[in-house]
Amino acid sequence: MIEINWLAFLQVFGAALVGALLVVGFYAIALRLLVRAGRVPVVAPAEFTDAITVVTEKEMKRAEKAAAKAAKKSPLTDGQKRLALVGAYASFGLCGLAVLGGLILIVVGH
Amino acid sequence: METAVLIVVLIIVLALFFDFTNGFHDTANAMATPIATGALKPRVAVLLAAVLNLIGAFLSTEVSKTISHGIIREDQISPTAFLPLIFAGLIGAITWNMLTWLLGLPSSSSHALFGGLIGATLVGVGAMAIDFGEVLSKVVLPALIAPFTAGVIAFAATRLAYAITRRYDNKPDGRDGFRWGQIFTSSLVALAHGTNDAQKTMGVITLALIMAGWQDASQADPHTWVIFACAFTIALGTYVGGWRIIRTLGKGLTDVKPAQGFSAETSTAATILASSAFGFALSTTQVASGSVIGSGLGRRGSKVRWRTVGRIAIGWILTLPAAGAVGAFAALIVVWLGGWGIFIDAILAVAVVLGLFLRSRRDKVTAGNAMSEVADSGHAVKVKRNPPPTRRQRRIAREAARRRAEEEARSKAEAKAKAKAAARADAEERARADAKARAARAGKGGAK
Repeated sequence: MIEINWLAFLQVFGAALVGALLVVGFYAIALRLLVRAGRVPVVAPAEFTDAITVVTEKEMKRAEKAAAKAAKKSPLTDGQKRLALVGAYASFGLCGLAVLGGLILIVVGH
Repeated sequence: METAVLIVVLIIVLALFFDFTNGFHDTANAMATPIATGALKPRVAVLLAAVLNLIGAFLSTEVSKTISHGIIREDQISPTAFLPLIFAGLIGAITWNMLTWLLGLPSSSSHALFGGLIGATLVGVGAMAIDFGEVLSKVVLPALIAPFTAGVIAFAATRLAYAITRRYDNKPDGRDGFRWGQIFTSSLVALAHGTNDAQKTMGVITLALIMAGWQDASQADPHTWVIFACAFTIALGTYVGGWRIIRTLGKGLTDVKPAQGFSAETSTAATILASSAFGFALSTTQVASGSVIGSGLGRRGSKVRWRTVGRIAIGWILTLPAAGAVGAFAALIVVWLGGWGIFIDAILAVAVVLGLFLRSRRDKVTAGNAMSEVADSGHAVKVKRNPPPTRRQRRIAREAARRRAEEEARSKAEAKAKAKAAARADAEERARADAKARAARAGKGGAK
C-alpha cells in the first residue's frame, strides 16, 4: 500500500504562498509609501541590452521628469512625507526579515 | 574490488559532470528575467548566480537523503551488482539531456536523473528494488504539483503587487522600484537552485559510496567533501553557462515587467526552498516556468496560449519515462555483457560528453536557438500592451463621464436660460418701445 503524505504538500503550498505574499506585499507597500513620500523610484535598467524590451532610454527620461513633477506637486506636509518615508524603510526591512526568517526556518529545520 | 573502485570513480566523475551541465543549463532560469528587465548587468547576474548556487548547496541535505535513502531499496540489492547500474542510470540521464538539448525539446535535468536511475534499476535488479511510494510522493507528485503551485502563487503575488502600487490619478506609480527588488529575488532563485539541484548529485554520489561500502548506510547525510565538490561544480557550471547566456540573450525574451518578474521570482524561490526543506526533488525549470506563466496571467488582459503550454507539458511528462528507457538500455548492456558492458557504457558516456562539448562549440548561438525554457514559457501567455481597466478604474471613468455629462447639461441649461432671458428682455424692450410709439401717436392725434 503506497502512503502519500498529502499534508506535506499542503504545508509546502501554504509556506510558499504565505512567504511569497509577505515578501511581495511588504515590498509593494514600501514602494507605495516611497511614492507618497515624494521619492518616486525611477530605476533605469543597469544596461540597455538587446534583451530589454520593456523600456527605452527615451521613456526612462520621460519617467524621470514625471516623477520630479509629481514630487513637487505633493499635497502632503513635510511631517507626513517624513512619516511615509519611515514607513517605506520599515516595510523594506520587514520584507528582508520575511526572507531571512524563511531561510533560518529551512536551515534550523534541517 | 579494483573494478568497484573504478566504477565508483567513474560514477563520481559522471555525476559531477551532470552537476556541471545542470548549473550550465539553469543559469538562465534564475537570471533570464532580471537581465531582461535590466535589473542586473549580465556579467554581474551570472557571477551572483554562481556564488549563490555555491552557498545554496550548503543549506540543506533533505533532497540528497531522498535519493540516497529513499527511492532505491539498498537492502534489496547486491552492492557489486548495483554500482554499474547507477553508472548506467547516469548515462541515461546525460544522454537524454543532450538529446533534448540538441532537438530543442523542453526537459528537466532532475527528472532525467531520476528516470535514468529508476530505468536502470528496474532492468538490472527488478521492481522490488524501487520504493514506488517514495518515487510517487517525492518525485512524481511534486513534479506534477509544483509548477501548478508556483503558478498559483505567482498569479496571487502579481495581482497583489499591481493592486498595492496601482494609482488612479495617472501619476507615477513607482513600479520601477521592483527592478531593485529583482536583484534580491533572482539571487533567492539562484540560492534555491543550489539548494535543490546540487543535492541531487550529492544523493547519487552518496548512494554509490554506500553501495561500495565507503559510507555507513545508517548515515543519511552526504560526506562533507561530497557537498563541497557538488557545490563548487554546480557553481562553476553556472558561471561558465552564464557567458553563453550573455552572448545569447536576444530580443526574443518575453515582455516581462519588473513587478511581474519580481513576483515570479519570489514564487519560484519560495516554492523551491519550501520543497527542499521537505525533501521534494523538484525541477527548477518547471517551477520557474510555472511562475512565469502564473505571473503573466496575473497581469490584466492576459490570455493563455494553450498550444504552447501543451508543448511544454508534454516535454516534461516525457522526460521521466524517456530518460528511464535510455537508462534501462544502458543497464541492459551491463546485464548482457557484464564487464564489457560497463566498458561499452563508459565509451558511450565519453562519446556523449564529447558530443556535447563539440556541439556547444560548433553551434552558432542566436537569439532564436538560445532562449531559455523559462523565457520560452513566457510565450504561453499573451499580454495586451494596453490592458483593459480595472473595476475601480471603470467606476472612476464612469463617474468622470457622468460628471462631464452633468456639466454639459448644466451649461446647456444655463445657456438656454440665458437665451430665454435675453429673448424675454428683448421682447419686453420691444413691447416698451411699441407702447411708447403708440402713446406718442395717440398724443399727436389728441393735439390735432
